[in-house]
Amino acid sequence: MTLVSALGVVLSRSVVHSALFMSGSFLGVSGFFVMLNAPALAAFQVLIYVGAVTVVILFGIMFTQKPQVRRYRTIINRQFWAGFLVAVGVGAFLAYVLSAEDWGGAEAGNGPRQVGAFGRDLLGVSQGAEIFTLLYEVASVLLLVAVVAAIVVSRRKIGEGVDRGVRE
Amino acid sequence: MQTVGQQLIITAIPTLPALVFLVLVLTGRLLKENAQYVAILGVTISLVFSVFALLFVAGIVPGGGRPIEFSVNWIDLGQGGSFPMWVYIDGLAAVMLVVVSFVSLMIQLYSGAFMEGDKRFAWFYAVLNLFTASMLGLVLAPNFIQLYVFWELVGLCSYLLVGHWFEKPSARDAAVKAFVVTRIGDAALFVGIIIFWATTGSVAFTDISEAAQAGFIGGSLYTTAVILVFVGAVGKSAQFPLHVWLPDAMEGPTPVSALIHAATMVAAGVYLVARTYDIFVQSPAAMLVVAYIGGFTALMAATMALVKKDIKRVIAYSTVSQLGYMMLGLGLGSYTAGIFHLYNHAFFKALLFLCAGSIIYAMDSYNLFEMGGLRRRMPITFWTMLIAGLSLSGIWPFAGFWSKDAIVASAYEEQYYLLFGMALLTVFLTAFYIFRAIFLAFTGEPRTEPAREAAESPGIMTGPMMILAFFAIVSGWVGIPEGFGLPVRDYFSEFVHPSEFAAATLGHEAHAFSFALGGISVVVGLLGISLAYALYVVRPEWAGELAARLSWLHTFLDKGWYFDDLYGATFVRFAMWLGRAAREFDRNVIGGLVGGVGRGTLGTGGLLQRLQSGGVQNYALFILLSVLIIGVIVGAQYAAMVVGLIALATIAAFAVGNRL
Amino acid sequence: MPQIPTQVQEFLDTLVAAPPLEGYLVVGAILFAIGAWGALIRRNALVVFMCVELMINGVNLTLVAFADYLPNAGGLGVSYAVLVLAIAAAEVAVGLAIVLAVFRSRRTVNVDEVTSMRG
Repeated sequence: MTLVSALGVVLSRSVVHSALFMSGSFLGVSGFFVMLNAPALAAFQVLIYVGAVTVVILFGIMFTQKPQVRRYRTIINRQFWAGFLVAVGVGAFLAYVLSAEDWGGAEAGNGPRQVGAFGRDLLGVSQGAEIFTLLYEVASVLLLVAVVAAIVVSRRKIGEGVDRGVRE
Repeated sequence: MQTVGQQLIITAIPTLPALVFLVLVLTGRLLKENAQYVAILGVTISLVFSVFALLFVAGIVPGGGRPIEFSVNWIDLGQGGSFPMWVYIDGLAAVMLVVVSFVSLMIQLYSGAFMEGDKRFAWFYAVLNLFTASMLGLVLAPNFIQLYVFWELVGLCSYLLVGHWFEKPSARDAAVKAFVVTRIGDAALFVGIIIFWATTGSVAFTDISEAAQAGFIGGSLYTTAVILVFVGAVGKSAQFPLHVWLPDAMEGPTPVSALIHAATMVAAGVYLVARTYDIFVQSPAAMLVVAYIGGFTALMAATMALVKKDIKRVIAYSTVSQLGYMMLGLGLGSYTAGIFHLYNHAFFKALLFLCAGSIIYAMDSYNLFEMGGLRRRMPITFWTMLIAGLSLSGIWPFAGFWSKDAIVASAYEEQYYLLFGMALLTVFLTAFYIFRAIFLAFTGEPRTEPAREAAESPGIMTGPMMILAFFAIVSGWVGIPEGFGLPVRDYFSEFVHPSEFAAATLGHEAHAFSFALGGISVVVGLLGISLAYALYVVRPEWAGELAARLSWLHTFLDKGWYFDDLYGATFVRFAMWLGRAAREFDRNVIGGLVGGVGRGTLGTGGLLQRLQSGGVQNYALFILLSVLIIGVIVGAQYAAMVVGLIALATIAAFAVGNRL
Repeated sequence: MPQIPTQVQEFLDTLVAAPPLEGYLVVGAILFAIGAWGALIRRNALVVFMCVELMINGVNLTLVAFADYLPNAGGLGVSYAVLVLAIAAAEVAVGLAIVLAVFRSRRTVNVDEVTSMRG
């Protein structure tokens, strides 16, 4: 399901369809996270990606497009086949290397099943995870900066008109 | 040792003209015609100092009577050693100093009028002074390296002066020819110097001579080195086979010819042989070479002078011929006779050139067959030239007689009869050609308009001419041998003589003056004059008929025994071919390489430019592609993956090729 | 409960058994590759954005898979994945702001038309 949705993102003719396929893909990944003994992360994934990111992108689409279905010519550029081959190459390469490597461990069930354990990991309180205190704080700062940056970059200058729809 | 004051005076002799050169180079444009006064001042002082040196060595000045010898530390490197400049003045050098500076002074006075209005007046005087300085430096040098430095400088000045009127292509070519031909001699000289230095460890003349006596150098190597040195002299003094540059060097202004190609530079070769006489006498084979080359050159050049139309070329060949005499004298062991002739020759040959220059100044032509009847219109020139001609022909009691006769006599007395015959024949020819020139120019009727209009030259030109004429008569009188019967001493022989060692090695007995031999040479000379008189004054048409009958001989002599053509066909053609080949190589190979690099860079740049499409996705594609490639290379251990990727690439190529 | 046959039981067991590590990794790699492909070929900047998100998710999946399966990792991979998630969200915000700014000045979100770096 994840992969089919991913293909849908790439190949769908409508931007909105792409966005919806994307959130489908996110949901699939979230399911993977549950299977990998990280339910808290799965919850985060759904909340943030499916919830926030998809919505933001939809907003972006709304501001910049007339939502209509287009022909393939206008949505795909000239690198179709080159990109296909390179991507296939990279994917095959990664897949092969990762599979051929000897990981020496079956499912060990190491993921943080309990939210409490997960929280302690994240905050850097538990054994062996001390660095995460710093990382956590840094992430916070980053988010702040990102918010400010987004506001600044998308500010409307004095004298510009209202958004009036798009040029095709 | 000399006092500092005396050392300064001697050092000033070559340095002053060099300073004048520098001053004129820097301020020549401002001075223009006033440059001559600066120059003449410098040379006059040099002359005075040279006379002082002469008197000192002669013993007239108190404290003298022996050769001047000192060294000045030119570059002092402290621990590393120093490069001293040595000075050695004996009788020979003192005489040369006076001769060079005196003749140079006369020429510079003369040039004031002759070169009037010339575009590069100050430069002319500057190089003239540089030449004087170099020649004086050459005279003072007691070792090969110093000599070689000034030798080259003198050659350079000759090139500059012969090519003074470089707008004329013939002058340019002549200057290059002079330089290149003398260069061949210079190269040989340098090889000789190297051999001497390598075997004896020194370059000073006395050191080498002593080392040779001690047996440091073997017989044939020694002779080879000596002959190489002689080849250098051959180049500079325009002896066979390197004589071809001197006639062409007449393209330069006449004062240049008078100074350089009569009195001084060409004498440098003879001077070199004399200076290194101690080295030469130790190789009898080399002495023979010197003598025969000298004798042959004398005869050969005299024949070439017989048919020339250009008055300057007649005198040029005469110079070559007389230098041959000097070499002959030195080669035979008559050191004093050879140098005596050098000394006398300087005066009358310079005078001859100045007279020719006077005619050219008056008539603007140097073709003998355009002149005629100038006797009445230019009397001073006529009389001075006549005096010079008589001196050249060796007629008693003019100066030339004493020295030329000494050489001819010594050839007989040393029993080199072939050389004696050649020398005597040359006396005849010499008298003939110079009087041919004189008669053609001064007697008869004017042949062209300029000849009719010719007027005597200004005083500043005739003044030096008259002074030189005076010397052309009396300069020989300081060397009248005792046997002649006059109560005068042979001052010259006492003053200029080979070292005791050389005299001992040569083992000649002193011969008294022989009236018979002297008489023979005078008679032969008079014969030559009368033949010239007959052919050019009494019956001019005979000359024309003779030329027509023997036209093959005439052409042969006129073309200089075809030497120029011979050299041109062999060496010059080869050198030109080499030059062309080098030029083509440079143009095509090197130029092509450079051009190719440039074009290649441009081309590659053009190709790479297409990579920068401006599209971000294009860039991302290339990034990913590179990642893939790097991954493949790094992960080459996974053979299967590599194979798979290669398969993928092949399919990709097909796909792209078929535009799927 | 009725007795289920052994093969069916085994089949059902395999259905609910944990997949091998390589499975997760391959899926992550393919997800990444698809995302890469899409990022390279779509003309619409927003769709390119979405494909980049796909790539990030693929990586996250790989990370969490390792965290779960490798005993020595200590389960920290999940925490890393959370941080990646947060950063990706921030990146979406800023990136979209940029797209909007570009849109305002050029009235287009077509990537092919923003070629001022052409050289």
